[in-house]
Amino acid sequence: MATGRAEIEFVDAGGCTRLAHLYQSDPLRILFPNSGPGEPETGALVTTSGGLVGGDQISIVIRCGTGAVARIVGQAAEKIYRSTGKDVCIDMSLIAEPGSWLEWLPQETIIFDTARLRRRTVLEVATGARVLAGEIIVLGRTAMGESVTGGLIHEAWDVRRDDRLVWADAVHLDDDLPVTLAANAGLNGARAFASIIYVSDDAASALPLARELLPEGLDPTGLRVGATCVGDVLIVRWLDRDAQRLRDAYGKFWAEFRHHVADLPAAMPRLWAI
Amino acid sequence: MAMGMNTHKDTAMTTDMSPGTELSGVRLQRLMTWLSPAFPVGAFSYSHGLESAVEAGMLENREDLSSWVETIVSSGAGRVDAALFRAAYDAVISDDTEGLAWALERGDAMRSTRELGLETLSQGAAFVSAAARHWSSPWVGRLSDIAAETAREIAYPVAVGVTAADHGIAELPALEAYLHAFAANIVSAGVRAIPLGQSDGLHVLAALEPVVVAAAGAALDRPVDDMGSAAIMVDWASAIHETQYSRLFRS
Repeated sequence: MATGRAEIEFVDAGGCTRLAHLYQSDPLRILFPNSGPGEPETGALVTTSGGLVGGDQISIVIRCGTGAVARIVGQAAEKIYRSTGKDVCIDMSLIAEPGSWLEWLPQETIIFDTARLRRRTVLEVATGARVLAGEIIVLGRTAMGESVTGGLIHEAWDVRRDDRLVWADAVHLDDDLPVTLAANAGLNGARAFASIIYVSDDAASALPLARELLPEGLDPTGLRVGATCVGDVLIVRWLDRDAQRLRDAYGKFWAEFRHHVADLPAAMPRLWAI
Repeated sequence: MAMGMNTHKDTAMTTDMSPGTELSGVRLQRLMTWLSPAFPVGAFSYSHGLESAVEAGMLENREDLSSWVETIVSSGAGRVDAALFRAAYDAVISDDTEGLAWALERGDAMRSTRELGLETLSQGAAFVSAAARHWSSPWVGRLSDIAAETAREIAYPVAVGVTAADHGIAELPALEAYLHAFAANIVSAGVRAIPLGQSDGLHVLAALEPVVVAAAGAALDRPVDDMGSAAIMVDWASAIHETQYSRLFRS
């Protein structure tokens, strides 16, 4: 069992974002690949153990100071291994100070059969700051045809603005998991689900754009995606039977959306394609 | 909370007459009035995402409807609402203003979509205003004061939980009645939107009886850290309902 912690802080130094603080302990590592032209300062979050087991406790704090522009990317898919009873606990804290842009782009979290995951992501987004954050959950090692027969997935989000809770959401899957996965109001056979959260003073005005960028589709067996906005929080929700198809559409949307709202390149980081 | 848990276990003993389960006289009448479809919260105008699920071809018959509502009650908004209800109810019973403020804040913030937020917060506001006018309740007054001070809206389960507790209505039957009303309202929306016959609607309601009982009982034992929904398709349906071309319902 591991207790890992990563802390990253970016600050603006005269129009240029630089790293101000870095702390990392096993199994977490942060690498700094070349961000690419026109891209924000980019950190890649790595789990050196290759995956997490029940009892692991991970905490990650990413702070983006006033006016800083930064992006943190998951280096690879995160595996949550089967558990005999203990939970993997992941606490994410994303803090964006006024005028900053912070992107948190994880790759898929792959939930092995009977794995137990509790993940809480807290966004603290000051007035004038913007955060684009995501999550993708894949149920079972789908490439091997594995599905989940039990376990726990608790995926919670809190969004705070200037110290006030403005939005909260929690997915909680336990008890009779296979029943919920098949149920029409549950996952209806989907094997992957995902969200994109965009917090900004002008999130509501970005909703028509988000809808325009979403793939069309009422194919009953295909990708399902919808966007909504609650106050300053824009939420895009995704479900699919095919995890790879979801990932492709998700990446395409992410690239276009950041381009339109933040004038960043309409591209995903190289790590995303690997 | 302790009282509620005992209540839950006592329900198996039909001869038990402890105060926790007794519900008769004016308390029973109040509970029935407050959770009747005629109580002016506008429940009939909300489908909880069902209307777009019908449009998407996911709900075609009473079996589909029954399954849809079962998941919502046992592990969707029913589970989240039950946790909020319980937090609000227990705060009143234990004279815990901080706990009440917590339930208020969570209920206001947990809006998985704009329309599901509208559904619970509009009904919460309407419930408080109608109940407070005819049944005096210091705690509902306190709830409204905190909401005004902190610029929060009152979620429907928080409003009902506080009111039921302040009028001495036992927690388990109050929660069962709340979940039943919630389920029956979605069934009614389904009967209109799919459409189905009245008899199909009653068939579904009958099938949901054990689901409501189990959901209320489970809610009294579940840790607050487990508050969350598994009805992911409902959140999707509610999101796309916002742009549905032809619609009868507000959610």
